[in-house]
Amino acid sequence: MRVFQFLLRITIISALAISTLTGCRHPPAPKQGGDGSGLGSGAGQMGGITPLDSTGVGMTGGRPAGTWGQHGEFEPVYFEFDSALVRPSELPKLQAVANALRGNNKKLIIEGHCDERGTAEYNRALGERRALACREELIRLGIAADRITTISYGEDRPAVIGHDESAWSKNRRCEFITVSP
Amino acid sequence: MSAAWVAWWMVWLACAVTASAQVVVTKGPTKRSIALSGFRGDATWAAQVADVLRNDLRISGHFTVTPSAQAELIQSGAVRVEGNQLVVDCTVTVAASKQVALSKAYTGSVQDWRRVVHRISDDIVSTITGQPGIAQTRIAFVWVREGVKELAVMDYDGHNVRQLTHDKSLSVRPRWSPDGRRLIYTSYVNRFPDVVEADLITGTRRIVASFPGLNSGAAYSPDGQHIALTLSKDGNPELYVMSVAGSGLLRLTNTRAEESSPVWSPDGQQIAYVSAAGGSPQIWVIGRNGGEARRLTVSPSYNTEPDWSRPPPNGELPPMIAMTSRVGGRFRIGLYDWGAREVRLLETGAGDAQDASWAPNGRHLVFAKVQGWRSRLYLLDALSGEQVELPAIDGSATEPAWGPLIAAGRGSS
Repeated sequence: MRVFQFLLRITIISALAISTLTGCRHPPAPKQGGDGSGLGSGAGQMGGITPLDSTGVGMTGGRPAGTWGQHGEFEPVYFEFDSALVRPSELPKLQAVANALRGNNKKLIIEGHCDERGTAEYNRALGERRALACREELIRLGIAADRITTISYGEDRPAVIGHDESAWSKNRRCEFITVSP
Repeated sequence: MSAAWVAWWMVWLACAVTASAQVVVTKGPTKRSIALSGFRGDATWAAQVADVLRNDLRISGHFTVTPSAQAELIQSGAVRVEGNQLVVDCTVTVAASKQVALSKAYTGSVQDWRRVVHRISDDIVSTITGQPGIAQTRIAFVWVREGVKELAVMDYDGHNVRQLTHDKSLSVRPRWSPDGRRLIYTSYVNRFPDVVEADLITGTRRIVASFPGLNSGAAYSPDGQHIALTLSKDGNPELYVMSVAGSGLLRLTNTRAEESSPVWSPDGQQIAYVSAAGGSPQIWVIGRNGGEARRLTVSPSYNTEPDWSRPPPNGELPPMIAMTSRVGGRFRIGLYDWGAREVRLLETGAGDAQDASWAPNGRHLVFAKVQGWRSRLYLLDALSGEQVELPAIDGSATEPAWGPLIAAGRGSS
């Protein structure tokens, strides 16, 4: 407790010192547009760090080309905390996805998501594991593997904003998006 | 092996309680008292310079800053502006012997004035203690606003925040190259998670890995020649190593569970990472060429995001693995105790503490603390247990990564 109070005092003192020092503690507003602007302003303050060229990182191949459908075309598959196991109760939802892919040449994107608890990077792996678990089930149901691509968003794209189990249980999910050629 | 480290380690070993409930509140290391007499010259500049220096020396953990004439060390100095240059003279004298420990003039551009002061602090720390100062280092982090995540870099004390990406997408999980010139991170700018390397000098970016599925969690080897990362292209999130140029992809793990978050050992021969292969996410270690994986942690039931410190040769702490541990529904910063083979929890106060990253002195950590569903960054001195809340920014700051020491000559301007 004594340590905590000490730390609290340090925090308050340094916060005061900092606010009186700089007057404005807000970082520079983000630059808009895609022209890589902001190269000049304050670059010296960064001691040689140059803002990144915002024209992009280059294109990637091997991803499904075509028109992406909407979220909500299929019911999400839900998961338990820290689990990538597809529960038997969720299997009919995957059956519905498989049925919709039969008799056409649509491709499928499976998004894997986690709730906000836990660390972000582990949740990216967990979300991917969830998406791959659904993918494996769809392959078992006869959908060709090369038609299905996964994206893990980890905890970064919650379906429901909230900080309790009712929100979390809706966020631990896989969503399905069809891509028409 | 320094005396401070031995003392600190003994405090740990004395704690014979089980890992999950144990909270480490260490006795502080030996601190020297230093009196800051301030700086002569322009009063406004003198006050600003003194405030930053005081804050730096306090964060360093090596000094008790006191105005008292009883101090072991006495600082004095002067400040002046010449054109666009700030010139600070600084002298540190040993009170008892009147011996001058440091006397030097520091010059830098006025707009870079905080970094001029950070150089003074680092010189004082290294001259008096022999340890590297960290005041000139930087921290990269993820800046979260309205669902958009952009990369940003700031000075170690939270000032000079600079947004690096403007993709209005997800730019996450930055890690520094050992020379501090490049960041590697995960970008969703092309809709799918790709590993991207950014050059901070030229401002250019390139895709390093864009296989089907997940490309994420990249970390440079200590020599900067290779990266370890998570890929799911072969049907499951697994660990791989490849050269920075993109050649020689080598798969390290082969499980049914997810692997993530690799970090290299200081000698570059091993990689610590997260695997759920044992039923819960835990820290495992594997050779950099693969082979038999060894499970490091058993409890608590959730340990993720390892970071393996790379202390200097004369560091005050040995190389250690920090991690995020979930205990009783709360997230905490844990340190792996190699002797007891247990996770020791650090005291960080209220809120969920996660994503700890070591400073290059192997003593300080930066971590994110979530309180009221807003995440802010804090510094923590693992030797003393003292923490410092960094200045607030709008939105949230997450996934911090502490950069390397600035090479000699690069700190000046």
